[in-house]
Amino acid sequence: MLAKYLKRAILAALYIGFSHWSSTALAQNAEASNLYKRGLAATCANCHGTDGKGVVDGGMPLINNLTSEQMLTQLKAFKSGAREGTIMPQLAKGYSDEQLVTIANQLGKK
Amino acid sequence: MDRRHFISQSAAALGLLAGFSGPARANLQKAEILVIGGGYGGATAAKYLRLFSNNTAKVTLIEPNPTFISCPLSNLVVGGSRTLTELTSSYDNLSKRHGIKIIKDSVASIDADKKTVKLASGQTLRYDKVVVSPGVTLMMNTIEGLAQANKDGVTLQAWKAGPETVALHKQIASMRDGGTFAISIPEAPYRCPPGPYERACQVANYLKQNKPKSKVLILDANQDVTSKGALFKKVWAEQYPGMIEYLPKHNVTAVDAKTKTIKLEIQDDVKADVLNLLPAMSAGEIAVKTGLANSNGRWVNVNFINFESTAQKDVYVLGDSIQVANAMPKSGHMANQHAKVAAAAIVAELSGWDVNPAPVLTNTCYSFVNDREVVHVASVHQYIAAEKTFKPVPGSGGVSPAPSTLEGVYAWGWAHNIWADSLG
Repeated sequence: MLAKYLKRAILAALYIGFSHWSSTALAQNAEASNLYKRGLAATCANCHGTDGKGVVDGGMPLINNLTSEQMLTQLKAFKSGAREGTIMPQLAKGYSDEQLVTIANQLGKK
Repeated sequence: MDRRHFISQSAAALGLLAGFSGPARANLQKAEILVIGGGYGGATAAKYLRLFSNNTAKVTLIEPNPTFISCPLSNLVVGGSRTLTELTSSYDNLSKRHGIKIIKDSVASIDADKKTVKLASGQTLRYDKVVVSPGVTLMMNTIEGLAQANKDGVTLQAWKAGPETVALHKQIASMRDGGTFAISIPEAPYRCPPGPYERACQVANYLKQNKPKSKVLILDANQDVTSKGALFKKVWAEQYPGMIEYLPKHNVTAVDAKTKTIKLEIQDDVKADVLNLLPAMSAGEIAVKTGLANSNGRWVNVNFINFESTAQKDVYVLGDSIQVANAMPKSGHMANQHAKVAAAAIVAELSGWDVNPAPVLTNTCYSFVNDREVVHVASVHQYIAAEKTFKPVPGSGGVSPAPSTLEGVYAWGWAHNIWADSLG
């Protein structure tokens, strides 16, 4: 009798435990993924400011006036060579297309 | 499986599940994270540990200097076209805006087994994670007589921006017209590969305007110019004809401060009026003392995915102190990039997440060839999981086609932005 209840209790606990675990794991995956994206976008911050907010009148072209779409268009143009420049054509060629999408999504004007 | 066995296993499983589902976040909030050194690497690490943890991680920065003085651009101070004040930033924003505790002290020792750091003042701090970013140590004893010559103020290095940078300019300013400024370069790797060649340009730029009969002599232990070689050689020939003499494969072994004589490994002695001798370099002293410098006793091997020392767990090493990956320069920009990868990895680890499997680094470095025109070198480095290292991406990166004033503007733009990114 006792064993019967215990078994049900354990199964219920396991079920709750697993569902709780899987939702937590999903949340963690989303948070971890967000952290990776922030890390990738931070590779631009040395020249264009933390979170893309550059120093105004600092001497470097500002990027935070661009929407994500506009930014991606520019990054792709630098990568393909369609747009000329000094450093940016050389840097854009170092990122995959997927990485450029992530960067534009992270840093584009919201 | 009997019932009792099943029950005990289930209980264990439940315990494990409970373990998965909560305390990870708490670990991030409870952890004591220390950052040793407030240069381009350490300051950035401290700031990004706060940003990436959404301001929940406890971060303490230990730095002996009252302000941050940039090494990049400090050759302009040696050449006299800029002042040190223009290159100086406050640490205040790290505490005021970002909630980082700053301790103005230096570190006497690290006990990686007990996970404690002892400060020069005697205080002992416990840590869960420690970031070590101590820059480089100049190995003065690799050039005989150099330590004494430096103590006497005869031979300055000025390879860490500060009072020596200003003092070196004063030596050049008081040199006779027709005198010789000699700079020597150790075998790579050393801090800031193009730095010595940029300095030669800055000194020549000053001499050209103020003491045009003078000379700049570059004694390079390397086979050839180690960075932006073709660009520098063109500038020397076109902008400073007859003024800059470049001598590769000239390894300095000793200096006589009284007679201002430089002794070379192979060639005859050289005399100069102002001597700027750069000795071989190693990881910062605290890294060497702690036994972290496990690459030839000079540089620190790290796991590139998170910048954790291969010698000690929970010790992360950044910037000029590390044994670099292929084509990775020892630069301020690179130290800032190391810091972001390490900060994200520490936040992930303390949160119970996998660290980013594909981190990316960039480098850009601007060199002034006179007081306005600049040349750059740039690169992008992707982490290659199979080889556990960073590699520059083929077809990316490169140098300027020629010096330009536009890049002079960008160089200052880079400086203002990286100072804000690291400290603002």
